[in-house]
Amino acid sequence: MHHDGRVAVSVKDLRKSFPGGVTALDGVSLDIHFGEILALLGENGSGKSTLVKVLYGIYAPDSGEVRVNIGGKLTRVLINEPIEAMHYGIVLVSQVPQLIDKLSVAENLAITLSSLKWKGATSLSGVSRVSSVIEKECERLGLKIDPNEKVYNLTYTLKQQVELLRALTIGARVLLLDEVLTYLPTREKKRFYDILLKLRKEGRSIVLITHKLPEAFEVSDRIAVMRNGKILGVVNAGEITLQEVRSMMFGAAVKLLINDKTPSRKAGKTLGGEEIVVEQLHVKDDYGRDAVRGVNLVVRKGEIVGIAGVAGNGQRELLEAVVGLRRPERGIVRIAGLDITKRGARLARSLGVSFIPDRPLEYGCSVDHSVLDNMAVPFSLTNGLLLRWGRLREIAEKVIGEYQVVAPGVDASLKSLSGGNIMKVVVSKEIESASRAIVAHNPTRALDEVSAAFVRQRIRSRAERDRLAVLMASEDLDEVLRMSDVVYVANSGRLYGPLDPESTPREEVEKLMVM
Amino acid sequence: MVVSGLSLLLGLLIYVAIIGTFGVSPLDALTSVARAFVTPTVVKDLLVLSMLGYALLVAFKASLWNIGGEGQFYISMLPGIVFTLYLFNPEQGGAIPPFAVVLLSVIGGSLLAAAWAALAGAIKAYLQIDEVPVTVIMNYVVYYLLNFLVWGPLKGKRTYGYLRTDEIPSVYRLNFRLPMLYISDPALSFLYSIARQVAYYSSFVVGASLAAVFVWWVFKFTKLGLYIRIMGSNPNYLRATGVNTRVLAVATMALSGAMVGFAGSLYLLTELGRLPYELERQTAGYGYLAVLVAWLSLLDYRLVPLSAYIVSALRNAGTTIQVAGLGGVEQTLILIGSVLLVYSLTRFLIEYEVRVEW
Repeated sequence: MHHDGRVAVSVKDLRKSFPGGVTALDGVSLDIHFGEILALLGENGSGKSTLVKVLYGIYAPDSGEVRVNIGGKLTRVLINEPIEAMHYGIVLVSQVPQLIDKLSVAENLAITLSSLKWKGATSLSGVSRVSSVIEKECERLGLKIDPNEKVYNLTYTLKQQVELLRALTIGARVLLLDEVLTYLPTREKKRFYDILLKLRKEGRSIVLITHKLPEAFEVSDRIAVMRNGKILGVVNAGEITLQEVRSMMFGAAVKLLINDKTPSRKAGKTLGGEEIVVEQLHVKDDYGRDAVRGVNLVVRKGEIVGIAGVAGNGQRELLEAVVGLRRPERGIVRIAGLDITKRGARLARSLGVSFIPDRPLEYGCSVDHSVLDNMAVPFSLTNGLLLRWGRLREIAEKVIGEYQVVAPGVDASLKSLSGGNIMKVVVSKEIESASRAIVAHNPTRALDEVSAAFVRQRIRSRAERDRLAVLMASEDLDEVLRMSDVVYVANSGRLYGPLDPESTPREEVEKLMVM
Repeated sequence: MVVSGLSLLLGLLIYVAIIGTFGVSPLDALTSVARAFVTPTVVKDLLVLSMLGYALLVAFKASLWNIGGEGQFYISMLPGIVFTLYLFNPEQGGAIPPFAVVLLSVIGGSLLAAAWAALAGAIKAYLQIDEVPVTVIMNYVVYYLLNFLVWGPLKGKRTYGYLRTDEIPSVYRLNFRLPMLYISDPALSFLYSIARQVAYYSSFVVGASLAAVFVWWVFKFTKLGLYIRIMGSNPNYLRATGVNTRVLAVATMALSGAMVGFAGSLYLLTELGRLPYELERQTAGYGYLAVLVAWLSLLDYRLVPLSAYIVSALRNAGTTIQVAGLGGVEQTLILIGSVLLVYSLTRFLIEYEVRVEW
């Protein structure tokens, strides 16, 4: 027990429901102490994000109260917008860095500061003042960030660190970290832990929202488990096992996780013809830099090829080029023997290739439309001009049932669903509509363990039973090792491999990732 | 809904305040505006603006801001003029039955307007030039093109010295006149005058109904409708699933233009009967008013007729205001402008946070 018992933020009996009848918070009460790391665990749609968004002023609760420690006294407050939350020292760092790519680190921070407490932070002299603050903070925490670096040059890890820095410079006392650590490579995650421990020592409260259980056990002092909008329990991390927390989170569904651990490998598997062939591919990124430099790759019928690697090593550009969304500079992409290089996504789709994009909200769905509308696009069952809505509705209902999407129905608008459930819709329609190959980038990002296990199982079964070729890149090394028949490592636009996931030691793969 | 209602109310207040400064009594002004909602003449505008509102809604759903309704409306009259006055003029021995000429005129008008709108769509899709200025500029191209034609090759022979085309032969006209009746009861008389309007413009009634059913059908049942709806909020999703969003943009504009052209050809055959010279000074501005109709409907096809009714009434308020001796026809523009201004501002304020720093 590290915290001194003083409560930083206390919520009592919070309730929140959304149009369409989804109850996201169903009477949540919780104390967050100074000087502790509290892990908030729960499956997708359990209410974690809603709770955090209420604390951060993004949602107003239907009822219940929020108290914040002001000058040693817990005072009831109404937090109407993030700026007010920041005034109380509550800051949210989200999974997707909320930074403006074209600006420098210091300029990004200056914008936040100018709207909060520093008049004129965005002026030239202001920005240089911000720079010196950044340098001081970096030194204290042992970070290496150049305040004048443009954000688009930063890796994912560094962007997350900038977000953390921003939180600290505006005086965060309660840090809400929403899946911030989930996609960091092991080594960088360990460094992040050190920073968190340092912050805890300074007396700050850290709420770690995650669906990765081991993460919660590695660093937190207490663990709160949410399910169906309720807090099932808050326990000290040392007094409960991982298995016990798992059962709390998922109930009976925990069985699925056991299957997730037994990969079916090549044993007895006959590989078919080449479905995806990539030869000497060169692709540029959005900023015109060489992102993919001479990649060769083959994916056969029924085979899962996994690409491991830290984010930003060319995976996105490679996969986008394979499905025809990005024009390669040089090289060849063949699908089912047909040269589709520079011929656009339409051809790849018509050959039965589906795509789970790295940025699902931008490329994987339209949140303003219903689950059914979103599913109708890739399935695209038509009679002449007309969509076969009846059949599409059947499919959509079956799919959201199988993937356990928490939604009032297939007519519900996607934006009324939780982040994890939106992801389930995106992933499920792509997996189920593919007829030749699935190209997937981080297919289980934002999914809880059980949903992720189910998605992996479905991908595997579509590869094995339906003989689809699967090309998958994931920042989750465990996932790549667990699922793939063949593993490559992406680093600086090149692919290293092929490696056999069974015989190659994990350390060797990690070494290739960060060398 | 709230925004639309609020805009209407606040717009009216601004209008009253403005004309109040010229010494017009607010009560008189408001009474005149209110009267416009129940004049029989509102029927025609309501029907025309419904057709055009539906047409623009199709493009607006895809976030393609087709402000070119005006140009598409008038250019669609060209085939009708050529077919009815030149190619199939009954005096030169009509070779085909009148209904076929009417059908050809409507189809030709729709196709020409579709092509005209598709051009703006293609400029947007392939050259990345915003469709708003392009469609507006193209309206002027149509004005001057038609002016040139009316002044030159299409100049009428029996126009009593006026510069305009000849009048379309009555066999090709689509209006239907009920006899004038003298009815002493004022309520019945009012109803009969409405009935005469509806009968006279029965082609618009059919046209507006077709437009409504068509839009409902497209968005409810077709793949194109689904794509158009999704393009309006996230074209990237469509691109990622292999839809060619450029072709889709051109097709959507063409569809919107075709519907405008359909309304335009009906308007020529039913109401206008000929093309005047200096078109830009004589138009009713339907193409622009339809933008307001589509906006006020919040792109909900069920609300288009209501929104068309409100806009038509406001437009007719110009006449009732004049009749009441409260001012000139410009007042309509002040009125409509105020409503549009408040509407745009409220939408802006709802969507963005406005902060004043100094």
